[in-house]
Amino acid sequence: MDEKDSLIFDKGINKAQTNFIPSLDVECDALKNIIPSNLIREEVQIPDIPEVEIVRHFVKLSKINYGVDTGIYPLGSCTMKYNPKINEHIARITEFSQIHPLQEENEGALRLIHHISNILGEITGMEGFTLQPAAGAHGELVGLLIMKKFFETKGVLKNKIIVPDSAHGTNPASAKMAGFSIIELQSNENGEVPLDHLEFAMQQGDVAGIMLTNPNTLGVFDRQIKDITEIVHKYGGLCYYDGANLNPMLGICRPKDMGFDIVHLNLHKTFSTPHGGGGPGSGPVGVTKELIPFLPIPCIISTEKGIVCADENSRSIGRIKAFWGNFGIILRAYVYLLSLGAEGLKRVGQVAVLNANYLRIQLQKRYNLPYNRTCQHEFVLSDKDMPNEVTAEDIAKRLLDYGFYAPTIYFPLIVSGALMIEPTETESKNSLDNFIEVMNKIYNEAVNEPEILKKAPHNTPVGRLDAVSAARNPVLKD
Amino acid sequence: MDFIPHDDKTIAEMLNIIGVAKIEDLFKDVPKDLIINGLKLPEGLSEPDVLKNLQELGKKNKVYSNSFLGAGCYFHYIPTLVDFVISRSEFYTSYTPYQAEASQGYLQAIYEYQSIISRLTQMDVANASMYDGSTALAEAAIMASIITRKNQVIVLEGVHPEYIEVVKTYCWGQKIELKIVPEEKLEEELTQEVAAVLFQSPNFFGDIEDVLVLANKIKENASNCLVIQCMTDPTCLGVLKPPGETEVDIFVAEGQSFGISPSFGGPGLGIFATRKKFLRKIPGRLVGKTKEIDGGREGFLLTLQAREQHIRREKASSNICTNQALCSLSALVYLVSLGKTGLCEIATQNIQKAHYVKNKIKLIPGYEILNTRPTYNEFIVKCPNIDSLIEECKKFNLLPPLPLSKYYHEMKDVALVCVTESNSRESIEKFIKALELANNNKEGKM
Amino acid sequence: MVNIIEQEFPNELKYLQTHEWVRIQDNIATVGITDFAQHQLGDIVYVELPEIGITFDKGSNVAEIESVKAVGELVMPLSGKILEVNTDLADNPESVNSSPYGTGWMVKIEFSNKSEIDELLTVEAYKEIVEAEKE
Repeated sequence: MDEKDSLIFDKGINKAQTNFIPSLDVECDALKNIIPSNLIREEVQIPDIPEVEIVRHFVKLSKINYGVDTGIYPLGSCTMKYNPKINEHIARITEFSQIHPLQEENEGALRLIHHISNILGEITGMEGFTLQPAAGAHGELVGLLIMKKFFETKGVLKNKIIVPDSAHGTNPASAKMAGFSIIELQSNENGEVPLDHLEFAMQQGDVAGIMLTNPNTLGVFDRQIKDITEIVHKYGGLCYYDGANLNPMLGICRPKDMGFDIVHLNLHKTFSTPHGGGGPGSGPVGVTKELIPFLPIPCIISTEKGIVCADENSRSIGRIKAFWGNFGIILRAYVYLLSLGAEGLKRVGQVAVLNANYLRIQLQKRYNLPYNRTCQHEFVLSDKDMPNEVTAEDIAKRLLDYGFYAPTIYFPLIVSGALMIEPTETESKNSLDNFIEVMNKIYNEAVNEPEILKKAPHNTPVGRLDAVSAARNPVLKD
Repeated sequence: MDFIPHDDKTIAEMLNIIGVAKIEDLFKDVPKDLIINGLKLPEGLSEPDVLKNLQELGKKNKVYSNSFLGAGCYFHYIPTLVDFVISRSEFYTSYTPYQAEASQGYLQAIYEYQSIISRLTQMDVANASMYDGSTALAEAAIMASIITRKNQVIVLEGVHPEYIEVVKTYCWGQKIELKIVPEEKLEEELTQEVAAVLFQSPNFFGDIEDVLVLANKIKENASNCLVIQCMTDPTCLGVLKPPGETEVDIFVAEGQSFGISPSFGGPGLGIFATRKKFLRKIPGRLVGKTKEIDGGREGFLLTLQAREQHIRREKASSNICTNQALCSLSALVYLVSLGKTGLCEIATQNIQKAHYVKNKIKLIPGYEILNTRPTYNEFIVKCPNIDSLIEECKKFNLLPPLPLSKYYHEMKDVALVCVTESNSRESIEKFIKALELANNNKEGKM
Repeated sequence: MVNIIEQEFPNELKYLQTHEWVRIQDNIATVGITDFAQHQLGDIVYVELPEIGITFDKGSNVAEIESVKAVGELVMPLSGKILEVNTDLADNPESVNSSPYGTGWMVKIEFSNKSEIDELLTVEAYKEIVEAEKE
């Protein structure tokens, strides 16, 4: 791999860089006549850097960074699939990139938001959508606030949310932000929700609902899903679907049919928008008809006058973000949906599951697989029984030496030393076989040369970093 | 389109290795009555066809030649370097950099972003990003409530109305009492029970606050109360005093002006910066610099993760996970492309052009500039006939200023005008002409 | 996997099920987390201690102990007022790892209800709890 570069701030020179400044074509007044001097700052401490130095710096940094275009990203629950280039091209067209959220002539944008809502509705079965949330966790907060408002409107006090122990960390964190407290349910030996514990918890009378992802973070489809949602509904609760794991279900089955009332989707997972190194994403929320009045404002609705925006609604939870949501991301997902169509979407689900099971069958020959059953889009290995006490972290770091990105490690918490693997449908058999070959090599190294794993990675620009000092004495800027 | 790289032969081979006859067998755990018979959606489109489809849709949006509309989203010149960098797929197709050793490029970039925001704002620490200015402000209010253990927050009028609504929603979730207060009533409302005062400067109407005076007033009346400033166009920091020098405790801003296209309002960038003493309570991702465990090379990694949701779960103060990383990268490239000279020059041009337009407007009868304090690149104008003004602007292919009645029903005939460095002299002259014509229309009607 | 015998369990201390230890002298109780707890958390990077003078009920969470990968909470073993906190932990959080019963102490409480002491665990009872958790 290539080497690092020094910080951008080291590349300044003593010459003003004015390449990007338009000429000032109006008459000026002295600044002090416009703004009092006590409001004016001293010079900003950002160097003037020549253009070529900037370009080289970022090109260098890109070369020591791994992306989906570099190779496989077998990260569980992330759905790191190929990001189509046509999405990027269309997002940059001026008719979409140069429009202001408050301009009146926005029919194209509103139609797009409306149409994607319909498509997502067809995929999930949900009857109303908001495209406002900027990420999955943001969508979770919206969904939970909808639950809160729903019960408040009924005059009923329900202040708890049930979350399985296999849930992603954002689930309980979002519930807390919405003012709920958590009841954590232990998964049973099949990795599924135990119905008797669920019923007991619901009987207490103060549970607003349950947050679930299905398939769950073990990659297992909970066969009792309809029983689960029935139990929750029986006691007056609502069911929230965390759509992070929707990929294998596209065109196969729908959260609405499973009994869910609220769904969030991750456009930057299932719907191919780029992960961007940590965003921007988009987390649309779909709801059943009964909950539509509680959706955040503004809502895009279809009337005889055409597609309009409605922002007066007393039952809405209110506004959760300025303007219209991450439109640029919504647009990319829309292009993806139009590109794939009905058949294409169904194939996504099918091949995602095919690829995951193929990896599962091949890797379980050496690695410990705690839940040995057909998986959906992902599965979890454990570092239990690894020779020479090699850990999940060691395996992950050694994968980096071979030029691969590592799976998710130490999640879900219910598997000790977990390695959560999700290949997605855009990996070829060659790509999967290469990954399997390297995982096998690593296993042999664990048997014969464990030290090489414990000190891995060796071939990357840096080796394992001291996270303890970094947290004790944080250095967060230069 | 199809992004699946298997042919039928390969699929058959894989099914054989797995030990099932067909793909449908892999879904045996899904109850039969849940399996749907395909989606009722049209067939997929190829690249040229989907492009045509979207181009048609795009034609229903109008692209103006120049804009006089701001109100939280701004047209600035974006250096070509920004798109060049964020189009590199090693950046935009990458995952959150949890595996630090394979992500040093992006981690360093975020570290540089945190550093540059710190330099610009003179605050001690900035995080990797929040979703946008509005949610950053809401999370700042929650952070203040947690730090002070108080649950009352004051928002001054003058904060962007959509931001106020977002803060209200978030506060409702956390049972934080929110009071919206006009600036002149602030001292009356400040008690020791208030966790924070939230204000915007330059504010929604364009006024630049004397932040130091305001911050001192807050601290004098409520010693433990946090001072939180938000900003919708931080290009002004090229000239205006930074929050770090004016007693601000938490600073948030909408970073869209730093190299991000308007894009119908999203994605944006939530800039979030605070003082060292609040470091452990800051939401969002943080990148730190450290050394290897064995060996002396420096590297970057995500740090202080024990604050975040994946560790704290229901004890986390924020649920934020995916944020706006690529937008932080855009902002970094924007700021380094301009450098100190460029930033100062851009901010100055915003001030000078807005000032120039204000002076021209003052010469047109029927119009009145309502701001009494200095302004940056936005100001409010009372108009004789605002509907006509909007029409005339459109005839010149100019995106008209915002009629304030959109948010404030009582403020009919007041326009929020925005002028940036991207407004050419020619467009300004057309704008002035539009104002004059609108005035004549009013007179014609009398 | 650390052998349970190698971990420290000072005999003279009292314990909580949530892995705090308590040293009682007159009406002052010194509190910290046990060797087992520090080992579970890993290298401690930061400890957030309560303000002096505040009164808490038994069972409240009064401090947070952060490692790189986890967060633990210090639970009040007895109701009372915080008299003193170990300010040394700000610069030396690693004391919690190296000397959990010594320089890694966290708070000193002036407790109000002597009868609550009887509800604390003896070292034997605590050892059993740790054994059970190990499985």
